[in-house]
Amino acid sequence: MNEIADRYRDQGVGAVFLYTHEAHPGEIYPRLTSMAQKFSNARDLRDKLGVTRSILVDALDGACHRAYGSMPNMTWIFNKSGVPVYKSDWTDAASVENALQYFLDVKRRRRSGARLAPFHVERLDYRTQDREGFYAGLDRNGPKAVSEFRAAFG
Amino acid sequence: MPDADLLNAYNYDSFVPEKFMPWMRFDESPPLGERTPDFPLWRLDGGETSLAQTLRGHAYTVVEFGSFT
Repeated sequence: MNEIADRYRDQGVGAVFLYTHEAHPGEIYPRLTSMAQKFSNARDLRDKLGVTRSILVDALDGACHRAYGSMPNMTWIFNKSGVPVYKSDWTDAASVENALQYFLDVKRRRRSGARLAPFHVERLDYRTQDREGFYAGLDRNGPKAVSEFRAAFG
Repeated sequence: MPDADLLNAYNYDSFVPEKFMPWMRFDESPPLGERTPDFPLWRLDGGETSLAQTLRGHAYTVVEFGSFT
């Protein structure tokens, strides 16, 4: 996702990471109980996990996150007026890039004089599953996060 | 002042279905193509901004929701 942000920055595309809640709390990264802790974890996201996009922090009660469906790692694309044009219940870089290319083409078609009307489409996208990498990520949170995920999903 | 029960429920302490499943509400999320609610957000330096303010700066903005864990 960082690479996509870099690749499309010059084409009028912004990218932010919105910090929500700890989806898999563990001994090292337990549940959030204060904004100070939330800011600290968000800085770790930048410093330890290498998120180079602007990071914004939601309220402690997740007001924004909850209003948009509160999925643990979803992605939305908004236009300049704040209208969402894409939403995905899981973040997948290929899906996001595919959508961006489509919307940038819409912009080009409009500029060339095409009269366009919006319509709704649903599509099932597919992401690569990296179970090993996912468990390695959980392990960073503490062993509790690993055992709880195994108990929930095997 | 945020409700204490909401804070505890949203910031759950264990990834167990009875605690995380209630938050899987994508089906109830706002529809595409319609203006959506604005919310205050904070930069890492503590400065306050808002979702709408963040979106105004670009033709399109990709917003990834997530956390360290």
